[in-house]
Amino acid sequence: MPDDFGGPNILPQEVAEETAFQQLIRHWMNERHSPDILPGQELLLGRILDHVRKQSDDVQLLRADPDSSEDEHFRIMLVQTEVERVKFVVRSYVRTRLHKVEKYARWIAKTPEVHERLSKAELDHAKRYARLLEYHFTQSVLQSLPPDQQSLEEETAFMPPMTPEPDKLRPVFVHALRDCPHVQLPDGSTITMEKGRISLTPYYVIEHLLARGEVELV
Amino acid sequence: MSTHTHQFGDLATQLLMDSRRSTATETLLKYNDVLVRAVVREQRHLEALLQAALPPPDADQDTPDAILPTVLLYQTAINRNKRCLLAYHAHRIERLKDLYWQVGGALPLLLSMPAATSSNSASDGANDVRAKLSPHEVDFLRSYNASLLAFRSSLSPTSYGADGNGGEHTLTEDVDLLAPITRPPKDLHVLVRVARDCGVVHTEQGAIDFRRGHRFLVRRADVEHLIVQGFLEEV
Repeated sequence: MPDDFGGPNILPQEVAEETAFQQLIRHWMNERHSPDILPGQELLLGRILDHVRKQSDDVQLLRADPDSSEDEHFRIMLVQTEVERVKFVVRSYVRTRLHKVEKYARWIAKTPEVHERLSKAELDHAKRYARLLEYHFTQSVLQSLPPDQQSLEEETAFMPPMTPEPDKLRPVFVHALRDCPHVQLPDGSTITMEKGRISLTPYYVIEHLLARGEVELV
Repeated sequence: MSTHTHQFGDLATQLLMDSRRSTATETLLKYNDVLVRAVVREQRHLEALLQAALPPPDADQDTPDAILPTVLLYQTAINRNKRCLLAYHAHRIERLKDLYWQVGGALPLLLSMPAATSSNSASDGANDVRAKLSPHEVDFLRSYNASLLAFRSSLSPTSYGADGNGGEHTLTEDVDLLAPITRPPKDLHVLVRVARDCGVVHTEQGAIDFRRGHRFLVRRADVEHLIVQGFLEEV
């Protein structure tokens, strides 16, 4: 797992040369560190799961084969362990997204621009969850309040908004995978993210670089 | 104000203290129905005071400056109380979801679980998690469970089952989403002690009858959910 991608890569590797699992690791780390919901990697997940299934089938065949040697059994065990670890990352990735989907469910439900970043299953769950939460608030609190106080949306001065949104000001550690164009920092100065550089910036500063895959969050 | 023995918002502060205590001790406290009702009553009272302070709508002249502070005071108290009420409920929902995931999504088990999970005091039935919930919270958990079930079964079987096996494979078949994600698996097998009888379970080595007190070396993936739900303990 973490040892598979290490720190700054010693050999310059193009992003295209990553294995599917390394890609998943990168997306998983990005997703876990980013305050916003990133585009879902459904195709990648599908590829990896197909691969996992093939490996599991092969393992079953080899285990059942009486001619398999002791050495092969040892290798089988390694493969099985690796399969479990891949599944762990897949699970953690899906759960991380699910957590954000629920946390920002009401914001997602009313912000169509986010919808394309979610899979259909995630979007459906977000909408269901938003409804569920609003229903719960209504039943438990709002319906017993006077009519003027029943709204779940109100803009009051000096109070945070009532719909939680991703905090794009949150600082993130960002690692440049290749030379990137200048980015503008909040104080007006610019920095150049040359390859291999690691900086701490607010998320919105490098949002577009992350979307293009030029940087990763660490 | 002098006629009141407390200030506006005192009750709501008590509600928030409940939430804080719950977080600090990592326990689920009983749903504070009495206090919630008291705050709601205060809200109605404040609304009445506010309406009384406002000039009648047919009065045509501008609102006199003198009543503005009064209106502002009531309105602020109303806003604050409302936020506190919602925060209290939202906090409980988050706690309940944590509990739900901790037991691997086994809702019936969660509801009948003794509330204090850390201490193994004998549960006397009236002390389970369900007794600490409001009816609406039980409803919420049921609907949440159903929504997750739908989520898991609709994880696009088309893209995951593209190998011609009839498209029956879904993500959940290969990866148990409800299994824990706190630490990655290091070993294929795990030595477990049976803490509660859980009957015959089919594993890689064939069917095993898990009886209390026995120990087995089994594949982790086969029994993960039983460990999470507390039937088995890792040795």
